[in-house]
Amino acid sequence: METITNIQQQKEAHNDRIVFGHQVYGLVGAQMAFRVELLVGFDALIIDASDPDFTRLAIRKIRGHYNPELYLKPIFLINHRQVRDTLIDSLHDGILFSYDHLAEVSKKVDEMFMLSTQLDQHLPTNYEAQVFKKVLNFMFTRGRKVFTPLLDVNSVIGYSYPELSVNFERQEEAQVLDILDWAEKEGLIWPDFHERVYLCNNCSGGYLSYREVCPHCHSSNLASQDLVHHFPCAFIGPISEFKNPVDSTLSCPKCNKQLRHIGVDYDKPSVINKCNNCSSSFQDMFVKAKCMSCEQDTDVQYLVSRQINTYRFTKKGRTAAVNGFFSSSADTEDIFGTVPLETMRVMLHYAMERLKRIDGLRTNVSVLYIENMYELVHRMGTRSKKPLLTELVNIIHETISPQDFVSVETGMVFYMTLNDMSLSQAEKIVQGLDLKLEQALNKNFNGFKASIRTNTVALEPGIPVADQLQKLSQALYADR
Amino acid sequence: MKFLDEFFNYIHALDFDKLARLFWYFLIFEFALHFVFDLLIVSLWRFVKRFRQDRIDYARQALFRSRPLVSIIVPGKNEGENIYQLVTSLREQSYTNFELIVIDDGSDDDTPTICRTLKKNGLIAMYLRCDVRGGKASAANLGLRYARGEYIVHLDADCSYDHDAIENILVPFFYDSDIGAVGGNVIVRNYQASVCTTLQAIEYYNTISIGRIARSELGIYRVISGAFGAFRRSALVAVGGWDIGPGLDGDVTVKIRKLGYKISFEPSAVCQTSAPKTFKALIKQRLRWDKSLVRFRMRKHRDVFYPNETFRWSNFISFVENVMYGFVFNIKWFVYLGDMAFNFTSTLPFIILMNFLMYVFVNYFKFLFFSLLRDRKNAPVYYFLPYIILIVPYFNIFLRTVRLIAHFQEIVFKASYNDPWNPSKSSRYAREMKL
Repeated sequence: METITNIQQQKEAHNDRIVFGHQVYGLVGAQMAFRVELLVGFDALIIDASDPDFTRLAIRKIRGHYNPELYLKPIFLINHRQVRDTLIDSLHDGILFSYDHLAEVSKKVDEMFMLSTQLDQHLPTNYEAQVFKKVLNFMFTRGRKVFTPLLDVNSVIGYSYPELSVNFERQEEAQVLDILDWAEKEGLIWPDFHERVYLCNNCSGGYLSYREVCPHCHSSNLASQDLVHHFPCAFIGPISEFKNPVDSTLSCPKCNKQLRHIGVDYDKPSVINKCNNCSSSFQDMFVKAKCMSCEQDTDVQYLVSRQINTYRFTKKGRTAAVNGFFSSSADTEDIFGTVPLETMRVMLHYAMERLKRIDGLRTNVSVLYIENMYELVHRMGTRSKKPLLTELVNIIHETISPQDFVSVETGMVFYMTLNDMSLSQAEKIVQGLDLKLEQALNKNFNGFKASIRTNTVALEPGIPVADQLQKLSQALYADR
Repeated sequence: MKFLDEFFNYIHALDFDKLARLFWYFLIFEFALHFVFDLLIVSLWRFVKRFRQDRIDYARQALFRSRPLVSIIVPGKNEGENIYQLVTSLREQSYTNFELIVIDDGSDDDTPTICRTLKKNGLIAMYLRCDVRGGKASAANLGLRYARGEYIVHLDADCSYDHDAIENILVPFFYDSDIGAVGGNVIVRNYQASVCTTLQAIEYYNTISIGRIARSELGIYRVISGAFGAFRRSALVAVGGWDIGPGLDGDVTVKIRKLGYKISFEPSAVCQTSAPKTFKALIKQRLRWDKSLVRFRMRKHRDVFYPNETFRWSNFISFVENVMYGFVFNIKWFVYLGDMAFNFTSTLPFIILMNFLMYVFVNYFKFLFFSLLRDRKNAPVYYFLPYIILIVPYFNIFLRTVRLIAHFQEIVFKASYNDPWNPSKSSRYAREMKL
C-alpha cells in the first residue's frame, strides 16, 4: 500500500494525477473539465468539490458524455461541502475526506472496472435505445436497480432521474420522460406511481406560474368583491355600491335603507370580479399557467400531464446491460423523400420478380449506417433529428438516380436501391455518398467526426428479400 | 227528450226582459264586454295594421341600422337542462347582436356545470351564480346590473323562441320612442300533453293573446309576461328593476307605466312555453298569478286610483279594467249563480244549459274568428275544436273558483307573502314594508 507521503510526493510531481498502486487518478481541474476527452486515460477521477458549481459542471460533462470510457469512469469528490445537489449527490462514486482514503476506494474502482468489462458492447441502432443502454451500463457498474425521481430545482420538469437526466440539457430534460416511456414499452422497466406533473405544452417546462386571469383580456389585474343582496327590495350588486362614502355603513342604492344585519336583511350570495384592465365583470376567472422558461401563457387544460414514476428493472432490464437487448420499436421517421422500410421490402420483391423475367436487369441494395448519429442528436436535441435526417436524405437523393428510393430505419440507418447498374458501380456511388455525407456532417458540426459504414449487395433472384436485407445488415455490423 | 222539449219550450217563451234577467251576466260581461268588445278592437287592429305596415317596416330597418346591443337575461334555479335548448333557439335568431346572461339563483343540480360549459363554448356571454337562492327578482336584478345592452329582454329558461322573436319584440321600440317595454306573445308548446294543457292552449289563444292585443291597442296593457318581455334599459333602471314577487312581471310593468312610458304587446314575437300538465299544478300556478292582482293592483299600486301628481288616465283605466274583470266580475259571476239558484230554483237546469250553449257558441265563434286573424299558429285549428266545449267549465267554474280562492287568500291572509316561490327571507320584508 502506498503511504501518504508517497501520494503527496506523486501529486506534487504530477499536478493532474495521483498514482496509487496500479491505478492512476485524474484530478479534474478547470481546464480538464472543459476538455473531458483528456480524462479517458485515467482509472478514476477526483474532483475538488469545494466549488459546487464547478463540481456540477464537471460531473455533467463526464457523465453526460457518450463515450463509455468517460461516462463510466469512477468519480470521487474531495473537499466536498454538504450542499444539496441532486445531480452531484447521485452521480459521484464516493467522497474522499483526504487522499489517505484512496486505499479504501481503490477496491471499488477495480470492482467497477471488472463490471464494465462484462457490458455488452453492441450499440443499439435507435436513439432512445442508445441513451437507455448508456444508463443501463452506468447503473449496472454501480449496482443500482431502481430509477428514483428526485425533486430537483435545477431540473426544468422539477424532477430528475440523475442517471438519465445528466444526458440532457436543461431545456431538453422532458425527453427523460419520453425515454422512460419508451423503456417501459420495451419491457425493460416497471413503473410505480410517484407523482404527476404538468408541463408547458411549448417547451415542456415544469416551472409554471398559475394565475387567475380575466376571461376576456387574460389580464391578471383583477379585483374581487362580494355581491350583496338586499332582501326587502331585491337589489343585488357589488358591495362597493352599498358602501357609504362618509362612514363605513352599508346602504342600499335602490331603496336607501341602511343594511344592518347579515342574514336578516341582507346576505352575500356570491362574489364578482372586475378586470382593472378591460373593465369587464365576471364570476368565473380563467386559470392560466405561465411558463417561467419560455413565457408561454397556456390555459391549464392544455398543459401536458405527465406521470412521474419510480422505475424498477424488469427481468429483461436486469440482464440488458450484459446481454444487450433488441428494440422492438423501430422509430421509422416520416421523412420527406423516403418510403417506409416495409414498402421498400415490397418494392424489392417486385424488382426481384422483374429480375427473374427480364435478362440484363440489375438492382442493388445499399445500407448506410451513421454509427455516431446519436452524438449529433444528443448535441442538437431530438427536435432537430427530423430536419437533420431530411437534410441527409436530400444529399442521398442528389447522389442516386431519381428512380431509386430511400428508406430510413431507426434514425441512423439508410437503405437505398441502386437500379440499372453493376454492383461495382453501385459500390462506387455509395463510397462517394459516404464521403459526401461525412464531409457535410464534419463541416457543419464543429468537432464531430462522422463514423459511417456502408455495404452494398446486388439483389439476387430466388433468395427472399428479407434474407438478403438481413445479410446486408449483418455484414455491416460484423466487425463491431 | 222530455227535458229537451221542456227546455226548448222554456227558452221559446222568454221575452227580452226575461232573457236579460236570466242571462244578464252573459249578455253584459261575456257577450258585450268580452266578446263584442274584443272582436271590435281586434278587427280594428287588423284593419289599422295594414296602414301601419310602412312605419313598422321603417322601424325594422331602423333597428337593423343601429343594431343596438340587447342583453337577454335568463334568471332561474335548476334550469340547466332547459338552458341548452334555450341557447339553441337563440342561436337561430335573426337579430344577432345580443349578449346572453344566465343568472343561476342558487341551483343545487348540474346547472353550474352545464352553464359553465356553454359559456366556455361561447354560447353564453355571462354566467352569474348566487350560491344562495335570493328569488327571481334579485336574480333578474343581478342580470340587469351587469347587462350592457340598451334593451333588456327577460326570458324564462324553459321557453323556446321563434327565429325572429327577438327582432320582432324590438321593433316597437323603434316604432314609438315612448314605448318603455314590450310583451311577447306566449303560446303553449305542449298543447298535446294533456287535456289540461290543451285547454290552456285555447285560453292562451283566445283570451290571453287576444286580450293583450286589445289592451295594447287601447293603451291599457299592464302585464308583460316574465317568459318573454323586452324593456328599455333606461326605463328598467329608473324603476330600480324588479321587486319581490310573486307577480313581479305585472309589478315592473306597472312601475314603468307609472313613469309615463307606453307598454306594447307584440303578437309576432312568439315564445313557446310548457304549460302545467296537471290541474293540480295549474291551480298552484293560477293561485299565484291571481293573488298578484290583489297584492299589486289593489294594495301596492293603489295610488294609481288617486288623483295625485303622477295620475294618468290610461293607468287608471287599466287598473279599473283589471280590477273589474279580474275581481269584481268574478265575484259577480258567483253572485249571478246565487241569484239564479235562489230566485229561479225550479228552472235552474234550463238556465244552466242555456248558459252553457251560449258560452259554447261564443267560444267556437271566437276561436274560429280569431284563428283567421292569427298569423302564427303552432297547432292546427281542428285539433282544438272538440275541446272548445270543455272550455266553458274550465273558464267559468275551474278558473273562476281558483281566482276567487286566490283573492280571498290574499285579501284575508296576504298569502302571497308565504308563497315558497319566493324565499321567506325576502317575503318577510316585503310583507312588513307592504311591497
